[in-house]
Amino acid sequence: MPDIHHPGRRSVLAAAAAGSASLGASWLLTGCTGASAAPALPKGAKQGTPDRGGTLRIARPPASEAETLDPASALSAYEYLGALYNRLVRVGANGDLAPDLAESWEPDAEARTWTFRIRKGVTFHDGHRLTSADAAYTLRHILDKETASPQAAVLAPLVDPKKLRTPDAHTLVVPLKTPNAEFPSLLTHYNCYVIPDGSARGIGRTGIGTGPFALESFAPAGPGRITAFEDHWAGRPVLDAIDFYSVADMSARSNALLAGQVDLLSQTNLDFATARVVAASDRATIARVENAQWYVLPMLTTEKPFTDVRVRQAMKLAYDPEYVVKVALQGAGTPGWDNPVPPSDPAHLATHPEHDPEQARHLLKKAGHEDLTVDLYTSSYDPVFTPMALAYQDSARRAGIRVRVKTAAADSYYTQIWMKKPLMATYWYTGRPVDQLFTQVFRSGSSYNETAWSDKGFDALLDRARQETDDTRRRELYGEAQTFVVEKGGAMTPMFADRLVGISRNVRGYAEHGFEFDYLGIGLKGA
Amino acid sequence: MLSFIVRRVLAAVGTLVLSSVLVFLAVQALPGDVATQVLGKDATPDAVAALREKLKLDQPAWERYADWIGGALHGDFGASLVSGKAVGGEVGMYLGNSALIALVTVLFAVTGSIVLGILAGLYRDRWPDHLISTVSLVGMSVPEFVVATVLVLCFSVALPWFPAVVLYGPEATVGQLMPAVWLPALALAVVMAAYIVRMARTSVIDVMASEYVTTARLKGLSTWRVVTRHALPSALLPTLHVIALNVAWLAGGVAVVENVFNYPGIGKLMLASVQNRDLPVIQAIALISAVVYVVCNLAADLGAMALNPKLRTRGRTR
Repeated sequence: MPDIHHPGRRSVLAAAAAGSASLGASWLLTGCTGASAAPALPKGAKQGTPDRGGTLRIARPPASEAETLDPASALSAYEYLGALYNRLVRVGANGDLAPDLAESWEPDAEARTWTFRIRKGVTFHDGHRLTSADAAYTLRHILDKETASPQAAVLAPLVDPKKLRTPDAHTLVVPLKTPNAEFPSLLTHYNCYVIPDGSARGIGRTGIGTGPFALESFAPAGPGRITAFEDHWAGRPVLDAIDFYSVADMSARSNALLAGQVDLLSQTNLDFATARVVAASDRATIARVENAQWYVLPMLTTEKPFTDVRVRQAMKLAYDPEYVVKVALQGAGTPGWDNPVPPSDPAHLATHPEHDPEQARHLLKKAGHEDLTVDLYTSSYDPVFTPMALAYQDSARRAGIRVRVKTAAADSYYTQIWMKKPLMATYWYTGRPVDQLFTQVFRSGSSYNETAWSDKGFDALLDRARQETDDTRRRELYGEAQTFVVEKGGAMTPMFADRLVGISRNVRGYAEHGFEFDYLGIGLKGA
Repeated sequence: MLSFIVRRVLAAVGTLVLSSVLVFLAVQALPGDVATQVLGKDATPDAVAALREKLKLDQPAWERYADWIGGALHGDFGASLVSGKAVGGEVGMYLGNSALIALVTVLFAVTGSIVLGILAGLYRDRWPDHLISTVSLVGMSVPEFVVATVLVLCFSVALPWFPAVVLYGPEATVGQLMPAVWLPALALAVVMAAYIVRMARTSVIDVMASEYVTTARLKGLSTWRVVTRHALPSALLPTLHVIALNVAWLAGGVAVVENVFNYPGIGKLMLASVQNRDLPVIQAIALISAVVYVVCNLAADLGAMALNPKLRTRGRTR
């Protein structure tokens, strides 16, 4: 399983269990009431200010029996990280970078050396003061081969751990191997939470960070508890404590919410039937993380007929993304128009080619692929894959493309189908900065380049963009990169989907976007 | 009698050896190389080679089998590929939790369904019989996860009497698990009970129609005495086998039900290890399930012998 699907990879548990136990309470309830009579799903969580104090109970899907609290690890217990730790830089609500433990940062003239000013007066849970040494150690820990951090693949080509400098207690200087104007954005990843200097050996169990909550107990794939950290630099959190429970099966998770045993289901995208039942219950309702994941139909550009750029263009023009959103997401999302940069990202390019089945037909004819027939693989790994494939099949028929939808096993989907079959259905979590997104998924030779697309012109454009220090000009270049991907790339991106989050009606101040979760502000009514 | 016991025990041991070979072969035959399966697609060739050596995949299959079975006989099932802990201890912990469910289930299912089965048999073709037979048939036909979900809906969501899921890990104490045991046990018992009810009913009908029951009645014995002293032991005999098979079925039935309730038992561990391709754990669980199956059948045979005078005395008359 690719690490990059973390935390999405946990949903394999739910998907595989679906074969045996997917008939959750929701299925039986919708059977009784009739899904057609169901009301529209709520747009957001309950508004209002929470009361101070109380304990929030969160059910989460465990990553593995070997879970750890080491943020850099591929097996980190994701939900704890944002509560226990801080990063240097985070992503603000508007999609722009915001200060976290770094108060400010600036590059030199060619964006080759970055200087971070580390916040003063920050203490770790064990009482020691945060300095630049902790920040430098965190970077070295991520880059350490022993850690095997997924983010090392992104940072290693840029950062030499031996060259990091800490001229004083609150300044971190990072010299880069090649200029990169987007470097701070790469530190917003959830592998980049700051840990104390020299803590590699114990951090997986102690969880000592600077975050709003301190660890009380933690068991891998088991229960855990964190309590409010009174000396947190940004003030005390609203809640007194959070209890985490790990529940692998998705219908068991929603039953726990319906029975009032937990208040929030983290990293769980409820299917539409379950979401309706949850929304209709007295105890719980539905909140949304807008455009939380983006769905892809990657065409392997090394396999016929997708080696021909005209066929790829035809496949894209042939279908109507608005139709796919309507059918596969029941409207809970945004059409992607084959552009993987989410609409919430400041670099997002809004213009796109229109749906044009006639032009698609024409391109296929020119490429010698009239009456094109293709196999499209899906699985029960994610509940949206198959509806999306069927909606695509239906939509592309107008351009004369015959799509045969084939279902593969869920538990070997990412080892046997992904990057192996010429056309399949998959998804990613949004929240990656634009430079990381393009470098990891679209650049030649990258390990997550799921279309095996290799275009020297595109790579050169990316290099120009990341070296451009003028913000406006850089944004334009990333816009050009999006056009490049839409016109020539192998990935069809039909849509961005909202995540439907099950949440108790007592929860107030819930805010989540990308990989950001507001642990400071979340609380309970009547706590 | 002794020779009968010895024959049955030998047959049981033979079955176990055969199933251990099959378990081993089945796991070896899983698609893809085991080492690449464990390490995933991004593994470097070096890492794969190292793991192959660690798992002794470079040795011939029979040697690996001898190693594994030798260790298993001493209670050493190797170490989990995921958590790195000893498989024996880990499986034991989960098995203990499952045993709690199994115990409650068997108590529910056996006592409840034998009473119901006898009632149905005694009131043959009258309304109690129709009611019991229909309800048990429905219970038999509905899959256990649907029964489990209906129970959650009724007794956790609508009426908050029992927890819907277990929020504790495998280290939970009996006291922590106790409130959560009842719904899964009831779900399993409902599915199991149907078989036992129908078997007990049929036996009671057969026995009650037999000549010795008629004789007993003619002697003026009360119905209660006829049923408890004469009909019950004979009716239990064929039922025992069904009970034993059902207990063995529990080993698989819990897998589904435990996941619905997030109960930290052997079924949940099994699903997780299959998904993680944690081979030593899968092998250990499969072998333990085989042992449960064989032992249950053996117990049923020996129990049947103890209750059946013909079998019991055969050794003596010879």
